[in-house]
Amino acid sequence: MNMDPFSLIVALLVYVAVMVFFAGMIYKIIIWVKTPKLQVHLGMFPKPRNGFVRFFKLLKDSFIFPQTIEVDRWMWVFAVLFHLSLLVVLIGHFRLVREFTFVSDVIGQEKLNLLGAVGGGTMGIILIIALIYYLFRRFASPYKDISVPEDFILLFLLAAIIGLGDHMRFLGDIHTEEFRAYFLNILHFKPAFPETLAASQERWVLSWHVLSVDLFVIYFPFSKLVHVIGTFIANLVRSE
Amino acid sequence: MLDTEKQQALVKVLKEKINKQLLYYLDVCARCAICRDACHQYKATGDIKYIPAYRAELIRRLYKKYFSVIGRIIPKLYEGRKIDDDVLLDELYQVTYACTGCRRCMYYCPFSIDTSHILSAAKSLLIAAGKGNQILKELADAAIMKGENIDMFKDVFVSILKESEPELRKKTKDRKAVIPVDKKDADVLYVALSGIHSILPAAVIFNKAGINWTLSMFEASNYGYFLGDSAKAKQIADRIVEEAKRLKVKEVIITECGHAYRVMNFFYEAWAKEKLPFKITALVEAIYKFVKEGKIKLKEKVVKEIVTYHDPCQVGRNGGFFEEPRYVVSQIAENFRDLNPNRTKAWCCGGGGGVVAIPELEEFRLKTGEIKANQVKETGAKIIVSPCENCRLQLDSLNTKYELGLQIKSLMEFTADNLIV
Repeated sequence: MNMDPFSLIVALLVYVAVMVFFAGMIYKIIIWVKTPKLQVHLGMFPKPRNGFVRFFKLLKDSFIFPQTIEVDRWMWVFAVLFHLSLLVVLIGHFRLVREFTFVSDVIGQEKLNLLGAVGGGTMGIILIIALIYYLFRRFASPYKDISVPEDFILLFLLAAIIGLGDHMRFLGDIHTEEFRAYFLNILHFKPAFPETLAASQERWVLSWHVLSVDLFVIYFPFSKLVHVIGTFIANLVRSE
Repeated sequence: MLDTEKQQALVKVLKEKINKQLLYYLDVCARCAICRDACHQYKATGDIKYIPAYRAELIRRLYKKYFSVIGRIIPKLYEGRKIDDDVLLDELYQVTYACTGCRRCMYYCPFSIDTSHILSAAKSLLIAAGKGNQILKELADAAIMKGENIDMFKDVFVSILKESEPELRKKTKDRKAVIPVDKKDADVLYVALSGIHSILPAAVIFNKAGINWTLSMFEASNYGYFLGDSAKAKQIADRIVEEAKRLKVKEVIITECGHAYRVMNFFYEAWAKEKLPFKITALVEAIYKFVKEGKIKLKEKVVKEIVTYHDPCQVGRNGGFFEEPRYVVSQIAENFRDLNPNRTKAWCCGGGGGVVAIPELEEFRLKTGEIKANQVKETGAKIIVSPCENCRLQLDSLNTKYELGLQIKSLMEFTADNLIV
């Protein structure tokens, strides 16, 4: 066992986080499903002609929400950038489970690493810029006046996650293979650092990064972040 | 301070108001406040309490405190709070009864949150706390009272109608034209507003279209709905439904009154849990059909001044009629100019949702109507057509306050004035 107590707790907390996340989301969905529906249709006009059009309208309203551009252009730009980068970064993290051999087989390992560095790096920068925008906006009036502590807490957690992630991407001396080893150890219920990581100061950055993610994921089902699912059902009501 | 018993009673009211849609809205709002400038009231006043997200937040804080897992333990996280004092209820009162229910914020919200639906829960709370709007309550009670004692009102009503019949005969050039009431074999029951201005033009149109109609003894407007008391709102709508059933009509045409059509067409069946045995039509829709089917003939392009059209929120965005009234207006008017923005994006006039009936909000509605006034000015219109009584009353106030020099017309009036008889 080469983990300091802090890093070990952080790693163990991953299991708690995953359980709380799924239990919490399932609980939320059960509540949503079980609550009786208001029989009045709250949709607004013009309504889609048929189910097919309605489905595409739902996708458009949820992923592009074009009407927002007219009233708050910058918020729209940053919201779209933020969510897209988040998605790309999330997909990128799957390299920690298994190397994307379907990519490296085609372009070679070195090119994949370069792609990861440039692509991941770009996303990391976009995320931090979008987050700074979110933060500044949140602290400005009138947004500040309608905000509640959860809004700030989530932003600070995201700032920690993204900031530390960017540190590992741009400044650290540790690369994908070592992070993958760490992550696989957790997945195999044997949390431990690979040797290079244990010898590096970067392990602190990693542990703080994972701790922030743990807390973020634990809080997720009880926060406004349930809009990850809620967006679709609420936008469906729009055309009901 | 409210005592514990009262608090518990209010929590129960809130619990009963929670439905699927409301839960989505309470759970997903990110407080991004993209809705801020969608609301004419915030835009005109700059007062944060009118930001739709803030209005909803007042209810969300109660929901978090009483019904959410973490909120019950750490309410601070969401600024969750108890319903324990009048300050909260008073603030709720201000933001709730000021809302015109135009749902423009819902249009711009990336999650399509219907703030006016959240505020319907607020209205239920306020009513339960004895803080519902007094004027709206009195108007609603008066309407219910009239429903229970219709025999008292009938004779006066009929005699007023008789006085208007000579004018109807003049306008239709039909010496036998009448305004029928309580007619058993009628196909159509027309529900007007109190006031001959909403009866006579429709009577002219129906007469020329040659339909077999009868006039309802009740007015379409529903103050129970504005008040936010769905029991009262249903009782008021019941009067019309019972009359229509008794007369065995096939169709009920609701006059140009935004919320009245919405209540009858979208809300009533859900409230009553029954399917209505007749069709509900909005008068704008009926007029459009008469024109399209050639049942009435318009004097085409006879009005030379610039004419514009204001989309009442409950007729357009919330009722579904954008093109029908525009078609009729642009047949008559040579110079039709739309307001900008219009249709789904139309600004509220500032008087809807019963606001026009609440004296204490008069100054507020004139101020928040400035956006609409400027829109109208931009078109240079001399005539504005709008099929909603609330809108017209508000436009009339704006006309004086902002010196717009406008003639304000209902669609039926504009049509009846320009019919080929």
